[in-house]
Amino acid sequence: MAQQRALPQSKETLLQSYNKRLKDDVKSIMDNFTEIIKTAKIEDETQVSRATQGEQDNYEMHVRAANIVRAGESLMKLVSDLKQFLILNDFPSVNEAIDQRNQQLRALQEECDRKLVALRDEVSIDLYELEEEYYSSSSSLCEANDLPLCEAYWRLDLDTDPADGLSAPLLASPEPSAGPLQAAAPAHSHTGGPVPTEHT
Amino acid sequence: MATYSLANERLRALEDIEREIGAILQNAGTVILELSKEKTNERLLDRQAAAFTASVQHVEAELSAQIRYLTQVATGQPHEGSSYSSRKDCQMALKRVDYARLKLSEVARTCEQMLEN
Repeated sequence: MAQQRALPQSKETLLQSYNKRLKDDVKSIMDNFTEIIKTAKIEDETQVSRATQGEQDNYEMHVRAANIVRAGESLMKLVSDLKQFLILNDFPSVNEAIDQRNQQLRALQEECDRKLVALRDEVSIDLYELEEEYYSSSSSLCEANDLPLCEAYWRLDLDTDPADGLSAPLLASPEPSAGPLQAAAPAHSHTGGPVPTEHT
Repeated sequence: MATYSLANERLRALEDIEREIGAILQNAGTVILELSKEKTNERLLDRQAAAFTASVQHVEAELSAQIRYLTQVATGQPHEGSSYSSRKDCQMALKRVDYARLKLSEVARTCEQMLEN
């Protein structure tokens, strides 16, 4: 099942280089550590004086410790490169992440639209009452000729000459239900239900 | 290890490996520090040395497994999927909500003005 696919040369080379870096760094850490432990052993017979041997051992341990730290740092860099490679090239998880994100965003969008539709239904009822109150109250600033929208709408229908050319079909839509608010028309009994407010 | 697990799990595993590398260096330092003392605590020394060796082997095994997985899964092609379209749709939905809120506040303000007058 786990077959080696024919990767492009660069990717394969890159992954092989990762392996090599891993092996080298781990080997470096282990070797330098064991050498430090060996150097820590005190020997009775030395070729040079004890002080010189001590200085040499001190310097050697410093260098090996620095090597261990360098190898550790190199391993951290390798892990960082692996993370980057994973994010860019691990297609199954990238696909899954994209699907999840799409689902989340779609759910949020549907919730927004659902709430907007509910809001629209509620507000249309209130708007009808507000408009009725406004146009029937004395605080309305409209003139005698100024009609509420719904009245003007129906009035246009009656006033328009059917023999008139193109203006009639444009102004008076044949379906009364397409209008924004219809409740002013006495023929309609207002039941307080939602009024279609879709504007095309 | 699941072959097609979420990237988050793998990234978390890699972060654990990073922490473990830090622990490796710390263990090595503790061992050498302990050796430098005149009177060494042998049990501590053995324990730390064993922990060091185990950590190094564990890190090597984990990283090899990750590299093996990447060798199986990686192709040469760039990934061209995106969530841009659904993000745009969601943005437009939020804009609609903002617009509705704006208009409602205008209506509310108008009603208040009428009531004051």
